Amino acid sequence: MTERVAIVGIGTTGFRPITPDVSYRELIFEAARKAYTDAGIEPSEIDGFITAAEDFLEGYSIADEYCPDQIGAVLKPTHTVPGDFLQAMATGFMMVKTGAFRTVAVEAHSKASNMKNISELIGFAMDPIYNRPLRETPHAISALEMTRYLFETCTTPDQCAQVVSKNMGNAMHNPYAAFGAEIESGDVLNSEPVSLPLHRLDIAQHADGAVVVVLADEATARALTDVPIWVEGIGWCTDTPTLEMRDWGEAAYARLAADMAYRMAGITNPVAEIDFAEICDEYSYKELQHMEALRFCMPGEAAHLLETGVTAIDGELPINVSGGALGVGHLFEASGAHKILELVEQLRGEAGTRQIPDVAVGLAQTWRGVPTATGAVAILSNL
Amino acid sequence: MAITEKITNTMKPTFWEGHIPVNYVYTYGHAGEKFFRAIKDKGTFLATYCSACDISYVPPKIYCDRCFTKLDRYIDVGTRGFIETFTVSFMNMDGSRKERPRILAMIRIVGTDGGLIHYIEGIGPDEIALGMPVQAVFKPKGKRTGAIDDIIGFGPVTRGRK
Repeated sequence: MTERVAIVGIGTTGFRPITPDVSYRELIFEAARKAYTDAGIEPSEIDGFITAAEDFLEGYSIADEYCPDQIGAVLKPTHTVPGDFLQAMATGFMMVKTGAFRTVAVEAHSKASNMKNISELIGFAMDPIYNRPLRETPHAISALEMTRYLFETCTTPDQCAQVVSKNMGNAMHNPYAAFGAEIESGDVLNSEPVSLPLHRLDIAQHADGAVVVVLADEATARALTDVPIWVEGIGWCTDTPTLEMRDWGEAAYARLAADMAYRMAGITNPVAEIDFAEICDEYSYKELQHMEALRFCMPGEAAHLLETGVTAIDGELPINVSGGALGVGHLFEASGAHKILELVEQLRGEAGTRQIPDVAVGLAQTWRGVPTATGAVAILSNL
Repeated sequence: MAITEKITNTMKPTFWEGHIPVNYVYTYGHAGEKFFRAIKDKGTFLATYCSACDISYVPPKIYCDRCFTKLDRYIDVGTRGFIETFTVSFMNMDGSRKERPRILAMIRIVGTDGGLIHYIEGIGPDEIALGMPVQAVFKPKGKRTGAIDDIIGFGPVTRGRK
């Protein structure tokens, strides 16, 4: 089994609220072309390809059949993972680990602007017998979780709103981000109620974009690049789909996915050993809940770390320097991909005005969104 | 190609508008059949119970999530519960605004590890609190079809009924 797996190339289109000028396949092509140029290889030299996509979000049956050509994978080993990019990357990681594939390309994208009834499409993910007949939006399900999380941790809606202010502010320094803004927590609390305690600005808005990553084994990575970004640990986990049987306060899926990644990376003290993190903030409270699940602090302490600036760009543990989903945009199954993009740029020292000095280890965490309880965590380093 | 030639006329983005008509029946299965029959005929909720894990499932399942054994013990757990969490919902599933906000709650059924997600009726947003006891309000027996909307919602606990 090969020792280490590295990211040797990455490419993206950046993220925009709408992309009427290109098809989703052209979007992916652009990201793929940039990734292969970044890695210094041609797709003919890549041994395997993985895409992350779901039929309903694509508007196709068997959407995976429409993947090969725009990533240069025609007549090559290719398959689709119907999950977040990090789950697809985990599969690529394992393929390289087997020794049978020296290089694997992993792709994820969002063409949210193609979906005319996006709210209902997401609603179709809910249980058709027990939940869907109520015709409630998935945001209401998140709001149920938010109420319980706030109750159990003595966190306030204003503290959640400060997450929005931080992340949209961070996005002002990220040229890829679609929703950068200088706003105050009061603006969030004064935006229209969607499902209280959730207001419109507590919820990440959708964006379009694509990301492609090239993974390689250690020998290939060292031949291709001077700055391989190593995948030190990766983990994923899914809780029961039965909403009625869940624990409504804690994100157990994220805690267990993180434990798996920490074990693999040999991390025993996450706060001391991780320099920065990109974590799921598709709803404002999720950033705080996920910080606790990742063992960055005890339950109920995340809001305090936020308010004391620990998670700010110049804090001890910067979180969502990219702007997160709130600032960059909600990218469906490409959510994990934008987090990996930020990790790679930071660890290469290519993050421009938002560069965090002297970073060596970064953590990316995703959640597949309501009503799922699936999370994934990856830990990357430049050491 | 997309990288070198950009569409610059915003008045002429081109697309084909499609739609996918998808229709399903979603079978209840053994546990769902028993659960909805109990609602329709008796106005009560059934749970399945795993004695090995001491977990009771509402809605009932024919297997235990934890130890993966088959469950065939059904228990009448009554219609009372506690508000585990709630929200005041302003939006419908299609994204449109509701005519009036509704209180949606996760109700933990008393004595079980499960519950139901449903509306709260007869308790205002200012009166509601986590942990508050509630009980199910059903449609009149003749109008029940054996579905989740046989339940109108959960309201204040009244004396006498379980």
